Amino acid sequence: MKKKKMIISQETMDVDFVRKVEALSGTSVRRCFQCGKCSAGCPMATFMEHPPNRVVRLLQLGQWQRILAGRSIWYCASCETCSTRCPNKVHLASIMDALRKLSWDAEGASKESYVQLANKLFLQNIRTYGRQYEMRLAAVFNVKSGQFLKDLMLGPKLLAKGKLKMFHRKNKNLSEIEKIFSRIEEMRKKGEAL
Amino acid sequence: MSRIGVFICHCGENISRTVDVERVAQQVGKMPGVAFSTDYKYMCSDPGQNLLKKAIQEQNLTHVVVAACSPRMHEKTFRKAVEAAGLNPFLCEMANIREHCSWVHENREEATVKATEIVGMMVERVKKNRVLPTITVPVTKRSLVIGGGIAGIQAALDIADCGHEVILVEREPSIGGHMAQLSETFPTLDCSQCIMTPKMVDVANHPNIKLYTYSEIELVEGYIGNFQVTIKKRARSVDEDKCTGCGVCMTKCPQKKIPNKFDQNIGMRTAIYIPFPQAVPNTPVIDRENCTMFKTGKCGVCQKVCGPGAVDFEQQDQLIIEAVGAIVVATGFDLYTIDEKPKGSLIKGYGEFGHGKIPDVIDGMTFERLASASGPTGGKILRPSDGKEPKQIVFIQCIGSRAREKGISYCSKVCCMYTAKHTMLYHHKVHDGQAYVFFMDARTPGKSYDEFWRRSIEEEEAVYIRGMVSRLYQKGDKIIVRGSDIAVGVQVEIEADMVVLATAIQPQKGADTLAQKLGISYDKYNFYSEAHAKLRPVECATAGIYLAGACQGPKDIPETVSQASAAAAKVMTLFSKDLLEREPIVARVKESGCVGCFACKKVCAYGAVEEKEIRDRQGNLIKTVAFVNPGVCAGCGTCQATCPSKSVELDGYTDEQIVAMIESL
Repeated sequence: MKKKKMIISQETMDVDFVRKVEALSGTSVRRCFQCGKCSAGCPMATFMEHPPNRVVRLLQLGQWQRILAGRSIWYCASCETCSTRCPNKVHLASIMDALRKLSWDAEGASKESYVQLANKLFLQNIRTYGRQYEMRLAAVFNVKSGQFLKDLMLGPKLLAKGKLKMFHRKNKNLSEIEKIFSRIEEMRKKGEAL
Repeated sequence: MSRIGVFICHCGENISRTVDVERVAQQVGKMPGVAFSTDYKYMCSDPGQNLLKKAIQEQNLTHVVVAACSPRMHEKTFRKAVEAAGLNPFLCEMANIREHCSWVHENREEATVKATEIVGMMVERVKKNRVLPTITVPVTKRSLVIGGGIAGIQAALDIADCGHEVILVEREPSIGGHMAQLSETFPTLDCSQCIMTPKMVDVANHPNIKLYTYSEIELVEGYIGNFQVTIKKRARSVDEDKCTGCGVCMTKCPQKKIPNKFDQNIGMRTAIYIPFPQAVPNTPVIDRENCTMFKTGKCGVCQKVCGPGAVDFEQQDQLIIEAVGAIVVATGFDLYTIDEKPKGSLIKGYGEFGHGKIPDVIDGMTFERLASASGPTGGKILRPSDGKEPKQIVFIQCIGSRAREKGISYCSKVCCMYTAKHTMLYHHKVHDGQAYVFFMDARTPGKSYDEFWRRSIEEEEAVYIRGMVSRLYQKGDKIIVRGSDIAVGVQVEIEADMVVLATAIQPQKGADTLAQKLGISYDKYNFYSEAHAKLRPVECATAGIYLAGACQGPKDIPETVSQASAAAAKVMTLFSKDLLEREPIVARVKESGCVGCFACKKVCAYGAVEEKEIRDRQGNLIKTVAFVNPGVCAGCGTCQATCPSKSVELDGYTDEQIVAMIESL
């Protein structure tokens, strides 16, 4: 995807997506003139296939698929060095945040990162139990991500200290929690929320 | 016997820190011919100058040497002081013991010895100095302006408003130049015609301006204050006095399909024509190459329909001689020819952009005519091939500019800005279209310029792609543009409906020929050279000739207007005196030794060397010798160095003086 020739036209430039990013992040993408200061100071830039300045450039060309297919947004540490130093007041950390949010529903987003999976399981857990049930979260995450033995040795220690409970305790007002989830779901269907 | 006074300056501590000035004064005082020597903290200050004046009068001094800074700094100051004390200013010389000694040495002992030697050299030199009278030249207070674009118009109006007569010569049938062709101007987007045409009318109506259009400079003779200019007024075939500008001739002319150069050849005109409706003068001209009457001898429709009987097929070219005191050169620019290589030129064209083969690949000026309300499409952006509105338009910057391989390594300065303007004009006229710009760098220095460029991206939604286009080709009715985005690092491809190339600015064709007629210097691109890049940017090295506008280098309108007004101010400074005073540092020919080889004439950059015949009393020619016109000579000394028989001497720098200096060491 990175090296593939880019066909630019009014059809391939997804301006609507860019507008969404701008609305979510509250910053202008067009303002960037590619000075490269964000990438110069980014502590994570070496791990990204699209350094921060290129992320903005791809947004300017409406090529969000190229960004979301990569892992750049997941390596961003939200340290905000880029936003602090940008000469054009482009709040790049907010743009990264917006992209991570938008990647939830986007097609072709990278599966490389487990962040999305963790988020999904976390919310499912809360919906089911009304509170967090860490043992289950850890177990399901390990199974779904295919890393069965990940952090296994930490379990006994946490159990001994009482940080991890064997059995869950359900929230008393589970129906109230369900209402919150249903309402958000409804709003998402209507496009009122992300 | 000369009585020389030597004055040694401490320059605060600048000199006295490393040079023992008192010892220098003492030792120089012992030299033969030196009657007085002293030192002072600041010689250039008022008390310092008074000390010098007092010494000249009290000691009855005949020559003066001031040992201080560079003559470039204070020679004028001290010569003025010497003159005030009653001596000829050219009997005063400066010995540079600051830049040439104290500033570049650390050892006090050695520096003192060197300073003494430098002063000693100047003492020997000044003994040979002669009294030189200031040269005065009468000034003809009329000026010639060559070129009727915005630069020429502005300069002409400024000089004329000051009460001096101006002769404005324009090659084309109308004044206005390239600015009249533009649609809107950056960074304010005001209409070019609206700000240009009133100035054109002012020129036509000004009592002090004599306008020659459809005319060219044939010959320039003379020197500052006294030029004789021969102007060739080409036959218009229409009597300017009789013509009322009604335009009936143009409506009746049967030749209607001649490409109009003013509209970049996309619009058509008749054989008898005015280039554009707002032309000044509003008198048509017959294009003899395309006129049926001139080609076959049969037609004459225009003559038949002309009420006042202004059409005159018999009209001949005229040569007019005008006497002027100053010349402003404002010949402007021409655009780079993309697809052809001009004969004998080092400039190459581009094959890869298909200009000339693909009809919808146009240059920036053609886009200006398309966008102009008075243009061939009435201001609609339409493709030349099928007249459709382009929905995807690609602009490519730096065509010819900054391309060493093509023969031009300079930046044309205006393309970034006018391309930004084009994207805006396009966005205003084609709301559902998209503009793309391929660029290497965006260079927008100037008041409100960068803001303008950013506006085209941030508000007018132009997509700027940093990276150049490698090739473009026709596919169906689309043009495939292949380029790269270097920020992303990928190749990009755009299916465009129209492509606009931002071509480089070049000097006007024939700029070199005109420069040779005027005797002014020009660079390898044929841009005219100014006397000093920073401190004399509107003057030529040749006295009395001034530069305005893009003939000197790429310029935008505000800069051109500023330079034109500056050139006008220089002309007015010249005209403020009845007699022109010049420094008498000029070359003189010793006629007895001159053999008339005229090697000096060949090397003189200012055209100051003339041929002079020496005859006996009966009028028989004895020999022809060189003569240096002191009004033109700039005192550079090239002729002196060239003369094989050592017959040319530069006053103030004679061989005798130089030898005396060397021998004193």
